Amino acid sequence: MTVTERTTASTPAPGGSRWPAVRPWLGTAARLGLAAVWLTAGGSKVGDLAASGRAVNAYKIFPYDLAVVIGAALPFVELALGLILLVGLATRLAAGISAGLLVIFIAGIASAWARGLAIDCGCFGSGGDLAAGQDPTYGTEVLRDLGFLVLAGFLLRWPRTPLSVDAALGRPPEAPEEEEESDD
Amino acid sequence: MTDRNRKGQRRPARVVREEMARERRRKRTLWTSVGAVIVLIIAGLIGWGVSASQDSGDFTPPGGANPEGTGIVLGSGPVNVDVYEDFICPICRTFEQQAGGTLDQLVAQNKVRVTYHPVAFLNRFSSTEYSTRSSAASGCAAQSGKFRDYAKALFDRQPPEGSAGLSDDQLVEVATSIGLAGDSFRNCVRKNTFEKWTEHVTDEAARAGVTGTPTVLVAGKQVQASAEAITAAVAAAGG
Repeated sequence: MTVTERTTASTPAPGGSRWPAVRPWLGTAARLGLAAVWLTAGGSKVGDLAASGRAVNAYKIFPYDLAVVIGAALPFVELALGLILLVGLATRLAAGISAGLLVIFIAGIASAWARGLAIDCGCFGSGGDLAAGQDPTYGTEVLRDLGFLVLAGFLLRWPRTPLSVDAALGRPPEAPEEEEESDD
Repeated sequence: MTDRNRKGQRRPARVVREEMARERRRKRTLWTSVGAVIVLIIAGLIGWGVSASQDSGDFTPPGGANPEGTGIVLGSGPVNVDVYEDFICPICRTFEQQAGGTLDQLVAQNKVRVTYHPVAFLNRFSSTEYSTRSSAASGCAAQSGKFRDYAKALFDRQPPEGSAGLSDDQLVEVATSIGLAGDSFRNCVRKNTFEKWTEHVTDEAARAGVTGTPTVLVAGKQVQASAEAITAAVAAAGG
């Protein structure tokens, strides 16, 4: 009881800002948004794992057999990550893994761009060579992933969000009290 | 400060409670993280397992296939030409109309040995996996030595991307329209006789670095998918 009192006592909004009240719900929105991204990405690929493998292979980064394994595992990992974020379990870790994956994707797209390949990123299904006369949209794809990276960054910084398993279990993962205080 | 000093007697108990709470949080964080990581690893392994079980494995190549079973061979000229096509790919249809005749001519002049690889890259563009079904049906036609005629007829009746594609019955209709026996063809299509072969053709195409359709190789080197580029490359390769 004392602990709770002390924590709540230390968190009134400084300067009457609405940020402390709004921030957790922004976090929930970011979490659900990122969950939707992963569920869509995984869902669009899971129906045709061979195509997903070919999309990875089209980057010409991994040997074919490894590309096939990555292409098969990735949609399931994306779906699982989406579900974990949806329920809000170990949010900071899930956000960290999301950020890591997004950085890898951005690096992959940038490398395809730099090498002059004309492929679809295969981010949400499809992938592989573009049809003749069709221009790659690497810039858009990178910007989109950077946008998702912002969501992941928000959750890394403030992983505590309402309507999550983490919240139901009590405290956010890896968010020590001291940091909570410094947040506000 | 003064406030804390006044409560000095209660402090140790509170510190202990806080430490216990912190320890509980630390454990909870650890276990939720371990749980999340395990879920992710299991998901990845499921994907790997599912894809491994989908391996094309044992396949029966149709008549007229090359020894590797990755395509149907026409002609026996000195220059090898490889053509990778998907029957639902619109640009493959254009390519067929623009360069198909040239290839047939080169085969007739005994200048080239063309291997057609009917890959199923674009299953997502039909609701019925038309790419796979049409490729497997082309295997049925190859079995009767009519791959090329059937392929042309399929391109003539190419369904639009995003549609259901031709039904199995329509695939049989196309076969009878070029003089193939309806009953045995229907059997071949119904039994998915060459579905595994199609998977094999598709996997091996991807392994060979083909990432889109149409892709044309002359003497192992990719050239632009046009009649002019093919003719020039064949001439350069001594055909």
